[in-house]
Amino acid sequence: MSFIKLENIAKSYLYGEGEVHALRGVSFSIDKGEFVAIMGPSGSGKSTLLQILGFLDKPTSGKYFFEDKISDSYSDDEIARIRNEKMGFIFQAFNLLPRTTVAENVKLPLLYSKIKENEWNTLAQKAIEQVGLTHRVNHEPSRLSGGEQQRTAIARALITNPEVIFADEPTGNLDSQSGHLVMETLQKLNEEQGRTIVLITHETHTAEHAQRIIKIFDGKIESDSIVKNRRKANDMELLK
Amino acid sequence: MTLKHAFKTAFTGLKTNKSRSALTVLGIVIGITSIIMIMSIGQGAQDLILSQIQGMGSKTIVIIPGRQAKTPSDFAQTLSNSLKEKDLAALQQKNNVPTLGQIMPVVIGAETLYYQGNTDQPTVFGATDLISQFFDIYPSQGNFFTDDDVKSHSEVAVIGSKVKDNLFGASNPMGETIKIKNRNFRIIGVLPSKGQVSFFNFDDSVIVPYTTAQNYLFGINYFNRIIVTADSENDINRTVDDITTTLRNSHNITDPSKDDFSIETQADLASRLSLITTILTLFLTAVAAISLVVGGIGIMNIMLVSVTERTREIGLRKSLGATGKNILFQFLLESVLLTGIGGIIGVILGTGFSFLISVILSKFLAVDWVFGFPITGAVIGILVSGIIGLIFGLYPARQAAQKSPIEALRYE
Repeated sequence: MSFIKLENIAKSYLYGEGEVHALRGVSFSIDKGEFVAIMGPSGSGKSTLLQILGFLDKPTSGKYFFEDKISDSYSDDEIARIRNEKMGFIFQAFNLLPRTTVAENVKLPLLYSKIKENEWNTLAQKAIEQVGLTHRVNHEPSRLSGGEQQRTAIARALITNPEVIFADEPTGNLDSQSGHLVMETLQKLNEEQGRTIVLITHETHTAEHAQRIIKIFDGKIESDSIVKNRRKANDMELLK
Repeated sequence: MTLKHAFKTAFTGLKTNKSRSALTVLGIVIGITSIIMIMSIGQGAQDLILSQIQGMGSKTIVIIPGRQAKTPSDFAQTLSNSLKEKDLAALQQKNNVPTLGQIMPVVIGAETLYYQGNTDQPTVFGATDLISQFFDIYPSQGNFFTDDDVKSHSEVAVIGSKVKDNLFGASNPMGETIKIKNRNFRIIGVLPSKGQVSFFNFDDSVIVPYTTAQNYLFGINYFNRIIVTADSENDINRTVDDITTTLRNSHNITDPSKDDFSIETQADLASRLSLITTILTLFLTAVAAISLVVGGIGIMNIMLVSVTERTREIGLRKSLGATGKNILFQFLLESVLLTGIGGIIGVILGTGFSFLISVILSKFLAVDWVFGFPITGAVIGILVSGIIGLIFGLYPARQAAQKSPIEALRYE
């Protein structure tokens, strides 16, 4: 049984008078521990796909199984709980709370979790350590570089120990060096901790950090293939 | 989400927009401030009036000549001449009014006083020495006149502190002679400064035997008031009935609607006056409450703007696992905290201002004003402002709760 399974997912929006078909029948599955990149040009439907995968949006038709359970059968509160406990989100725009320290930002998901408050600081410390920001714990986002902000967001996604991390163009706002560091962190999480990672990107270069690339074009899967020469972010560092 | 963190989140939300939060809450602050001030001053005014009345004692009954007074200070009826010496005699007969304690006729007028080129125009009271008991005024120098002085129409006077200052300055007035209506009155007593007592200011008055006042000063044979005490508070109603019967007999009145006198007990007066101040306070409070509604609409407006502005934050929180209820609670708590804080500031300001007013009234205007912290007003004020936050925050909070988390992913 697959961890994530999509069956003929379609999504269309009413846009003015007409209808826009963002997804036109997408089927694939992702196993636990996979590092999958969903790649496609802008407007291809990849973001819509991620929103459906992350329970942020509902498909117009088709079936989405998360842990073998069909997504329609979850209540709103159950979905909130799944997002909190099993999913971590990383956004292109970081989405950190301003005027709030790194530590507080990282702890944000815990507000909505069942985890006891006396464990919060230890968990935050561990997550911040994993992304290498221990020296920035009490900084506010405005005093961090883009890469550091994104790594704060990764720590935030990690803190509830989720099974899957959805990363939507995580390097889109970063210079190449910060981008490498973020990709290195994601690879490490995948390889060392066996976390499932679903990465959305439009860059082949970034996508090649994954084990598998699903190419989307015009709302349909164009190709679904294993990466032969997988990029290693830390190798890139060595090459420099 | 624990309550502690809900509060923390709401506080952070408000702190992020300090000046906007402050301006938003201003309407509530002003509304609560005015309500507290109105309630405090209303209470103070009522206490003042009641203390004036109680200054005369709760057993006191006042007989007023003329028809039933329509307002508490209907002065026209004092001009009526229906109460005369024979009524006094009738009332004093033990079998007519067995529960009668003490009785004192009063005549009131204004005359010019002369002393060595100085003049003064105080209120002239004609009374008996019982006036000191009725109004709790005792001379600081000398004594009141006696019953014999009253019987013999003595030309003696007790003067108030202000009259003493105006006529004699720092010198001792005792035994000196002043001229009223070309008659010589010997000063036998000086009253201490007491301010307003039961609506009379004895500081600015001269008190002479009522017989002297009637015959030598005003040239009248009637009284402006007869003041009576009942033996005890329980006897008041009975005493009033007996007085009514006695006076009707004395005046040959059979139809009660043709009474040419009216009787006022202190309890009547107190309840009538406190009703007036209560109605006035309620009316003003209602006017101030309108400002709270206006303030509430302001809160709703700003909260709606805030919800739109923070769409990304809401989306982010939802993607991190916040439920709709969490978001609803967060924004509701923000508006309730905002108005609640506004209410507390309003209570503090309102109390401060009414304290200031009480200081001005008592220190500079010599009004016998007692400041009271309006506890009911404070509790109601804070409660009402919290409720306003709840009511006017509900709609924006619902808007926030219904926002889709996709918004957070949408890059702007």
